[in-house]
Amino acid sequence: MLDISDLVTAYGKIEALKGVSLHVESGRITCLLGPNGAGKTTLMMSIAGILQPRRGSIRLEGDELLGLSPARIVAKGVALVPENRLVFPQMSVQENLYAGAYQRADKAAVEADIERMYGRFPRLKERREQLAGTLSGGEQQMLAVARALMSRPRVLLMDEPSLGLAPMIVAEIFSIIAELNRDGTTIFLVEQNAHMALQVAHQFFLMEQGRITFKGTPGQLAEDEVIQRAYLGARRAG
Amino acid sequence: MAARRHCNRVYVPDSGFVVDYLDLIDAVQSVADGVLFGATYALLGIGFTLIFGVMHKINLSFAAASIGAAYVSLLILAGFKAPAILVFLTAALAGGVIGALVYLVGFKFIPLANPLATLMSTVGLLLLIDEIIVHSTDGVPLNYPALFSDVIIPAGPFNIRGDLVFVFVLGCVCMAVLLTLLYRTKLGLATRAVSQQPVASQLCGISITRVNLLTFVITGMVGGIAGAMTGAAIGMLSPLLSLPLTVKGLIVTVIGGLGSIPGAIIAGLVVGGLENFFQFFRGVTERDLYIMLLLFAFLVFKPGGLFATSAGRD
Repeated sequence: MLDISDLVTAYGKIEALKGVSLHVESGRITCLLGPNGAGKTTLMMSIAGILQPRRGSIRLEGDELLGLSPARIVAKGVALVPENRLVFPQMSVQENLYAGAYQRADKAAVEADIERMYGRFPRLKERREQLAGTLSGGEQQMLAVARALMSRPRVLLMDEPSLGLAPMIVAEIFSIIAELNRDGTTIFLVEQNAHMALQVAHQFFLMEQGRITFKGTPGQLAEDEVIQRAYLGARRAG
Repeated sequence: MAARRHCNRVYVPDSGFVVDYLDLIDAVQSVADGVLFGATYALLGIGFTLIFGVMHKINLSFAAASIGAAYVSLLILAGFKAPAILVFLTAALAGGVIGALVYLVGFKFIPLANPLATLMSTVGLLLLIDEIIVHSTDGVPLNYPALFSDVIIPAGPFNIRGDLVFVFVLGCVCMAVLLTLLYRTKLGLATRAVSQQPVASQLCGISITRVNLLTFVITGMVGGIAGAMTGAAIGMLSPLLSLPLTVKGLIVTVIGGLGSIPGAIIAGLVVGGLENFFQFFRGVTERDLYIMLLLFAFLVFKPGGLFATSAGRD
């Protein structure tokens, strides 16, 4: 579905992505693990077109996304739920959803989608007139997900949806991720919470210092000793 | 009786603070005129504040561009006796075009990350517009058609000037249209999105460049109308107007709260009223001094203005 090859993104002279290649399979949940500063958010921002990569390619079902404006990339069917959620704080929940559907002209379908979002996230429905800035962290995360879905993406990118949320809310967010995927959405997820990610994702990549250093299934991930120590906090017998 | 003796005198500013009945009426009249004229300040304040809202930059050339647009509208009067509505429409259109040019020259290709860059480029544009006006008019003030200046509405002891009422009503219509645009349309939604969360607005598929350009066009049109209103209210246009209007517009923006439209409206009307209040009691030479002191007081005690927006840039 989404093919990234040899992607290089730099801030000035410092290369944050040093030739990243990975593949996101259609209809599955792909998870990117990695420590702080590995370049995970840079990768997400590069795919979304907010950052301009130096070279490489990002293909969505064969279509090159590199060099397109963020607006064109949204139109192609990629939506990003950004790190820290970034809801529009002075807009109501409902207006946030309308903003997510900014490029769509099919008014009736947009209204229907908003109702579907309210069906999926009942808490947003209760707070539809409330300013998004007054929502709790978990509610803002749900709003950010719903807003991204309003563009009817083919691939949903999520940058650390569990960041700063209470464990119970994290579990709720992950069950929503699994549910979205069951309904057919392809998801590419950045996560530091490897335990939660192991429960939902089908494919894993590990990124360290701007490079992909591991690729595998949940089973392979759980067996890898280095990863166990670093990310799963393995209880070693003896 | 002191009051009796002063009853019919002409007011002399340095005669102290003894205010008799007629003076009181004059004072109220003067303040009311100021509030009506304050609608132009409110529109200018809205222009500054809207651009600050979406770009977090001050466009210092805004008031000069507004006066420039009013000058352009004089061209249409050169050929034939155009109806008032046409003059204002021309001013609005010219303002929109100048606004787009200001964006392209002063913002589009300027490194926005540097906070001083656009300040410099817009000061440059302010001077440029001023120079163009001075050179094309030989620096001589031009008469501007005052609208409804022959209409005086008597209201008890007060006389309400028709031209000022016109300016005020037009200002209110502009504000209503702007607020509708901002809160009831898709473009308004995009504008607010960009101003609140630029990165997320791009992720929603909103083009920041397009929103910025349209904001400059729309504020330019508002500015053009404000410029024409200024011309109509004082009966002439002069290149000397642009600097004081820039200062007034900025004062209104700060007092109202940067980025707040209701703030700009209220602050515009208040500054207009207070200006005439101080002019009435302390004379025209001291008038601006007190307005500056008011600004000073706000900067010290309420730096966020009347309606400080809690949504900062983060």
